[in-house]
Amino acid sequence: MADCGPRGFLMRVSEVETPALIIDLDALRHNIGVIAECYRDKSIRLRPHVKNHKSPRILSMQMAAGGTVGGICAAKVSEAEAFAELAGNVLIANQVVGEDKIARLATLASRVDTTVAVDAGVQVEQLSQGAQKADVVLGVVIEVDTSMGRGGVRTTQQAVALAQQAMRAPNLRFRGVMSHQVPQSRQPSREQRFAEGNRWIARVLAVKQAIEEAGIPVELVSTGESWTYDVAAENPAVDEIQGGTYIVMEVPYAYMGQFRFAARVMGRVVRRLDASKVVGDVPVDAIGAPNGVPTVDSPEHIEVESIDHHGVVLSGDGVATLSIGDPFFLLTHQQDVTINRWDRYLGVRNGIVETVIEATARGCIN
Amino acid sequence: MQQPIEKPVGTPVDELDTPVLLLDLATFEANASRLADPARPARAEAWVHKTPAIAKVQVALPGVSGIAVRSVAEAEIFAAAGFDDIRILRPLVTPKSHRRVEAIATSKVVLEADRPLVGADWFEGAVTVSARVVGVPEPGRAILDAGQKAVGRDFGDPRLLGRTHCTAWAGSAEHGVVSFPADDSFAIGDWLQLVPADLATAFALHDFVHATRNDVLEAVWPIAARGAF
Repeated sequence: MADCGPRGFLMRVSEVETPALIIDLDALRHNIGVIAECYRDKSIRLRPHVKNHKSPRILSMQMAAGGTVGGICAAKVSEAEAFAELAGNVLIANQVVGEDKIARLATLASRVDTTVAVDAGVQVEQLSQGAQKADVVLGVVIEVDTSMGRGGVRTTQQAVALAQQAMRAPNLRFRGVMSHQVPQSRQPSREQRFAEGNRWIARVLAVKQAIEEAGIPVELVSTGESWTYDVAAENPAVDEIQGGTYIVMEVPYAYMGQFRFAARVMGRVVRRLDASKVVGDVPVDAIGAPNGVPTVDSPEHIEVESIDHHGVVLSGDGVATLSIGDPFFLLTHQQDVTINRWDRYLGVRNGIVETVIEATARGCIN
Repeated sequence: MQQPIEKPVGTPVDELDTPVLLLDLATFEANASRLADPARPARAEAWVHKTPAIAKVQVALPGVSGIAVRSVAEAEIFAAAGFDDIRILRPLVTPKSHRRVEAIATSKVVLEADRPLVGADWFEGAVTVSARVVGVPEPGRAILDAGQKAVGRDFGDPRLLGRTHCTAWAGSAEHGVVSFPADDSFAIGDWLQLVPADLATAFALHDFVHATRNDVLEAVWPIAARGAF
């Protein structure tokens, strides 16, 4: 387990043993507040995605701020289990297959109202059998592929046929449709972002309409993400968005502007290589680099030159004045991958470590 | 912490929960006994796998004595697991870290280079991450339940064991994607093994390693120093 230094008394950030995962409590509150404020007078709600923060305590903050559905979405069954006490209902935004895993899902459903995404008839059959065996009812939504190229039905006809199958299947309750999107343009303007978001949302709404035209009621449209939270809010046919990136934010989505970076990996300089390069104590497995190296947030004018299992090489004009032991702070390019490396966050406000927030569901990949 | 469905020793590997980290013991032991050099005293690079049970196998080999870890936190965990000769590779730069090293009283802690380091290449062909196909949403594309959070992508995408004509991609955090040619087929529920691009990343993502022999579960070992950065 990670060691984050002593507990029980106030500690300055400058005293923290590194590397450490730091969460800026004001930025966290700000980000949570943006969503709550946006949805205050609207029918749309946020379904907090717990894969992004892994923390029951942060979920409590999201729920207390308002604008949420009172339930969660999770990527995996074991991840959802960690939040079952808090969540009024669960949506597994993913396909769950196999007898063992569906038995586990059914056990979860005996504790809390549970819905799962499907994109194939085999899944519907297996879920129905598992739900009958456990004597529970599982909710089912059809995942519609909108831009991700992962799970999700590819055609409207497939969706209608699956909805019909789910309606007939014992111990399943057909609820509606869900989809995820990724922006195709890298730094979209607000207009581009809205145009793109609306195009993907229109696709899932067309599927909803086709299912309704086949005589099947659709009670739930769960679509959208952090980057379309405000796009979806203007569309009354969308019931909820599945959002989580906004919680701590990441470099590629900084263009949105509304959210602040709340998570940083703090390190210290441990070695000087030459006048323009130093080594820091953050190994690659403490932050992850699936889509390129991290960005240095502070001190200024420093870049990550490379990162491996033994540390990070920092270069740039800002390196000249750094001494051994000096702290630096890194921003992630993929927040959920970074958060998933840490057992806990150090919650910081005004340079003081105020609290330790446990990431209870870290590593819950099953 | 990772919470896989628990299965008893003796369970066939393809009946274990997915995704889990798998270590084929016969391959690992054969590599280790071939590569350990009794004539060249060395330390085992325990930071790579972070697993006391694996380090115990390593230090039992002729020529190997003591382990090497990256951080004080890793050293504390291995000392608590009974290791009494530990080198810390990262320089200590805070007074607190020196005090913590002094507190590891029962072990010899080395801060300077002494013996060569071995063991990182003893896992060739022995470590995989299991996965199941959860969907085949279009021809030539299978979706797996193992993505970046299970197999890692910090050093590239994984390979699909035994099916070199397929491309595995772990670009998503929770999903893997396999592209396969028309003469191959994948079905929902198929069990697969991914070969991670980087061993230490794979160990850094799991809390347990499932040790197998002849494709049967032999032991489940905690990766006790995972996250001890």
